[in-house]
Amino acid sequence: MLNTLIEAFTLISTWEVIIALLAASVYGLVIGSLPGLSATMATALLVPVTFYLSPIAAIATIVAASTMAIFSGDIPGALLRIPGTPASAAYADEAYAMTRKGEAELALGAGVWFSAVGGIAGTLSLMILAPPLAEIALSFSTFEYFWLAFLGLMCATLVARSSPVKAIAAMFLGLLVACIGIENPGGVPRFTFGITDLFGGIEPIPALVGVFAVAQVMRAMLTPEPPPIPRRKFGSIMAGQWRLTKKYRVQMTRGNIIGIIIGVLPGAGADMAAWVSYAMSKRFSKEPEKFGTGHVEGLVEAGASNNASIASGWVPSLLFGIPGDTIAAIAIGVLYMKGLNPGPTLFTEKASSMYAIYLMFIIANILMIPLGIVMIRLASYVLRAPRSSIMPVIMLCCAVGSFAIGNNMFGVVTVATFGMIGYVMEENGYPVAAMVLGIVMGTMVEQAFVTSLIKSDGSLLPFFERPIAAILAAMAIGALVWPMLVWAWRRLKRQAPSAASSR
Amino acid sequence: MRLPDRVTGLFLVGLGAAAAYGGWQLPPVPGQPVGPNVFPLVIGSGLALCGLAIAFGIGNSFEEAEEIIPLEAGQTRPTGKLYGLRALLPPALLLLYVAAADRLGFIITAALIVYATATALGARWKLSLPLAVLAPVGIHLIFSKLLRVPLPAGLLPMPW
Repeated sequence: MLNTLIEAFTLISTWEVIIALLAASVYGLVIGSLPGLSATMATALLVPVTFYLSPIAAIATIVAASTMAIFSGDIPGALLRIPGTPASAAYADEAYAMTRKGEAELALGAGVWFSAVGGIAGTLSLMILAPPLAEIALSFSTFEYFWLAFLGLMCATLVARSSPVKAIAAMFLGLLVACIGIENPGGVPRFTFGITDLFGGIEPIPALVGVFAVAQVMRAMLTPEPPPIPRRKFGSIMAGQWRLTKKYRVQMTRGNIIGIIIGVLPGAGADMAAWVSYAMSKRFSKEPEKFGTGHVEGLVEAGASNNASIASGWVPSLLFGIPGDTIAAIAIGVLYMKGLNPGPTLFTEKASSMYAIYLMFIIANILMIPLGIVMIRLASYVLRAPRSSIMPVIMLCCAVGSFAIGNNMFGVVTVATFGMIGYVMEENGYPVAAMVLGIVMGTMVEQAFVTSLIKSDGSLLPFFERPIAAILAAMAIGALVWPMLVWAWRRLKRQAPSAASSR
Repeated sequence: MRLPDRVTGLFLVGLGAAAAYGGWQLPPVPGQPVGPNVFPLVIGSGLALCGLAIAFGIGNSFEEAEEIIPLEAGQTRPTGKLYGLRALLPPALLLLYVAAADRLGFIITAALIVYATATALGARWKLSLPLAVLAPVGIHLIFSKLLRVPLPAGLLPMPW
């Protein structure tokens, strides 16, 4: 244990890792603070760069960029009422109300402080949860993996903003994308339509870059430019944070726990965690009437929550290759490229690398406090950069980055295509995160499914025979039936008062 | 590009059915009951079922539209058919890159992309022109020099 820890320290104390961590932190802070550029997009655009780094440095960039971006989304939320990333959307109104009351320092300070606390809590959960789960997962057969994957896919409904059916459809679409290529049980070209470039299948990373970055540039084409930020002087940013921590320690802990749980659930990530925690905070607050008027309580809980979900999102990703959120989906792609294939054996064979990941999360979250304060002070300059100068650079990064993944122009075609798919889907209420879940998990789901079917020789019984498989199956079936019951119940309730006005 | 649920739902039904049919047509692995054909069959059927449910409006009980960037007072969202087509510019430019980069080279194609994107987002030439010169050179420096991505030289090779 101690040896592994020392080994992990030596792994991360190289210049390459330190520079990568710092550069990615600054990058994450800037991208996260620019409205319309999300943390996922920041991570996706980093991937081509990670190619040329050592495995640990590559993971360091992703850890640092995603952690920083989720915090710095709070900055324009508080100053402009425009969330920098969707994860800050839940409490942007509240933070802006505080700024108008003259409490911008307190709002932003709470953002940076409780983000760091949440991030560290999330890391602790990763350290505590992952190794014992890996022990259990070592004895998993394909039946358990099948149900686990099934449960993971069912979680697609969690990211549904509108209708869960659309989320499931988006998830199926992702699985269908994963069907393309010759990497299937029969090794035959499937859905390739004679195009040789499709034989290798659709690479997840260009697809994700398209869905998160190109689609965003497309949306920017049709939305008005956000107003420039008013220049202002800030007082002490960290003043009063310790008092808040003591006053709201229950809220903070609850936020951490909710964030960790939502992070572990496949597909659902920081934005979901923030929404749920903000709602929880309001629901259980002693003074709910103050919410919406510039009250810091919700900020504490939601800020602690969204950053906690980032680290805990790595738990299912490292253990099973099931992405805990969209950022972890990208991380999985990078892990595969770097020979750190997700799986329970990672924790026994590559234990020092795992410790290095924990350490990097903790370092990134501590680093967030000084860098975050600098970023807040510089925000009025960074946010002055017009969108018309940032989006073109992002376009170039999309083109070059997707080309670099295979040194192949087909990557660029993939990016463009998935940009369009992602744009149309989001416009019509199909959650892109659900499709990403399908794309990333597709191959694994099919393998578990087909291998299980072959082993069971057509009988359904073996799917339920092993104890853990039976538990997972019960959960999966419950998750499938529950929303239907809720829907039917709502429908019955609604039918009575107003059948005509509802649509 | 907001389409009625009926349209997207029926499209998914078609896609799902096509996938299921296409999967079913695949040759099975000899001597084995399940092969590459099973999974697309399941996925396709699932997709088609979801599509049907969407087309008939089942399960969209909590539909809520969300606006990330609120409109200012007095600001109106421009409408018109051609305005919506602006969204297609980014993918079109990427496809232009695929078609032209090998012949024109990275720098020229990238400059075109930057200029077009910046202008479409409302930049004046005083901003977009210098940007179109500097951004491609900067990106070329990072990706070609530092990361050794073989970017096409084309008509205007860089001295490094």
